[in-house]
Amino acid sequence: MPRTNAFIVRASDQVPKHPLLKRFPVPRNFGVTPGSRIERGRTWAAPAGAVRTKAFEIYRYDPDGDDNPRLDTFEVDLDACGPMVLDVLIWIKNNVDPTLTFRRSCREGICGSCAMNIDGTNWLACTRYIEETGAPAQIYPLANMRIIKDLVPDLTHVLAQYEMIEPWLQTTTPAPDRERLQAPEDRAKLDGYYECILCFCCTSGCPSHWWNGDRFLGPAALLQAWRWLTDSRDEAAGERLDLLEDPFRLYRCHTILNCTRTCPKGLNPGKAIAEIKKMIVDRQS
Amino acid sequence: MTRYRIQTPLGRAVGLGSAKSGFGHWWTERITAIALVLPAIWFAASLIAHTGTDYETFIHWLAKPINTVMMVLLLVTLFWHAALGLQVVIEDYVHSVAKIWALIVMRFACFALAAVGIIATLRIALGA
Amino acid sequence: MERMTTKRARPLSPNIQIYRPQLTSVLSIANRITGVALSVFAVVLAIWLAAAASGPAAYSQLQTIIGSWPGQILFLIATFVFFLHLCGGIRHLVWDSVRAFELKQIYASGWAVVLLSAALTVISWLLSLLIAGHS
Repeated sequence: MPRTNAFIVRASDQVPKHPLLKRFPVPRNFGVTPGSRIERGRTWAAPAGAVRTKAFEIYRYDPDGDDNPRLDTFEVDLDACGPMVLDVLIWIKNNVDPTLTFRRSCREGICGSCAMNIDGTNWLACTRYIEETGAPAQIYPLANMRIIKDLVPDLTHVLAQYEMIEPWLQTTTPAPDRERLQAPEDRAKLDGYYECILCFCCTSGCPSHWWNGDRFLGPAALLQAWRWLTDSRDEAAGERLDLLEDPFRLYRCHTILNCTRTCPKGLNPGKAIAEIKKMIVDRQS
Repeated sequence: MTRYRIQTPLGRAVGLGSAKSGFGHWWTERITAIALVLPAIWFAASLIAHTGTDYETFIHWLAKPINTVMMVLLLVTLFWHAALGLQVVIEDYVHSVAKIWALIVMRFACFALAAVGIIATLRIALGA
Repeated sequence: MERMTTKRARPLSPNIQIYRPQLTSVLSIANRITGVALSVFAVVLAIWLAAAASGPAAYSQLQTIIGSWPGQILFLIATFVFFLHLCGGIRHLVWDSVRAFELKQIYASGWAVVLLSAALTVISWLLSLLIAGHS
């Protein structure tokens, strides 16, 4: 784990000792439509005999009922479950409430399935230590997403935005008989971008995407756009920039940098977007 | 959100397509920002230097050509930069038809206030 | 495709209601708020110049307002707002040239902007009071 400093954050996985504020000073239901309001849920007690317990507040939503989302509290037996937040969810599903629904696969931070909002910031449940969470720990689905069930967000729209940037190699030159050549230094330009696992922690944490997500592509899609713009083998840079140059699609990014702060892979979507803007400057002047 | 409109996810994401513009606004906002640095610092320094001065001193100071020029430059860049910045704020938060009206009113107000400030400065400078 | 049989619209998960304020988002919204505030002060500047152009009476009336306690407090806030937007704006221009994007740099420059703005506010008020005392 990186060294913790009260004021300077060195890496995105650093949980600050003294957070500025727990949440923005806005009413709980600020701008929330009636159907999305979160109600108080039930409390699930720890199993008898549990010694070390910790409370986890978890967002629940059942699409088959008529009830609003609610916040359940689970008393978790820390001695019976693994060290990560994902272990807590699996423990609850196995031992307390089998209906608790969430996505998970690799449990080692490479699939991006278990991205969720833990203690107010987006991260992968499988790479966040329980000991780094507050008391009670608060677990919500990725922010600003339509929720299918419990912690499972509907990623249809953000994936469509990813599809929009045409994330594949485009050439007019007919495909060669052998592999496409790329200089090592040009290959190095993809480092820090190709590693994106599409967990959408960044896009879900971007205030600009909250207010204009229907038109603003968001950091995840734009980082991928840069990954193809900077690929020396690609021949469609012009078309790609035409597609992006729009007051909303690209320029709704105001360099807030919540994306770079939250990326669980330590990538830099904010920098990628700045690179795109600079490329457009180069094209114009 | 058009909740019940049946549309493919890609169709919804593409929307009305790319405007193929946006660079101009973004670039001008940066240019006006750079242009503002000097007049803004000049203005702040002048305010400090003029704490508690009377009318005559102030008029005499503003009528000096260098100060007149700086004040006019300040007014032009300030309201230009403000208009561009406020445009983004309105576009970010206003999603109804009120957006277009807010943009129009805001832009008119910026132009008008810049004109008021410039004319006032010139009147003082020319001793009207 | 979404199910056509959904009984109700899917709820939207909370965003600003739960997302933790971080230096990144806090300074971004601060830059926006100060920008809007400075636009309001720009209106005051235009009115002030118009008052000065229309003669000593209107000008001295405005000076009285600015010289009053509420006016002075507002002016102090305006000074800090001005420096925060200026320093924050320069930080943005650095980013626009694709520099200082490491998280450590983002945080260091963020705190630097806050401290520098506070320091410049104090310095300019001390200078201003010093000059006022001598005239």
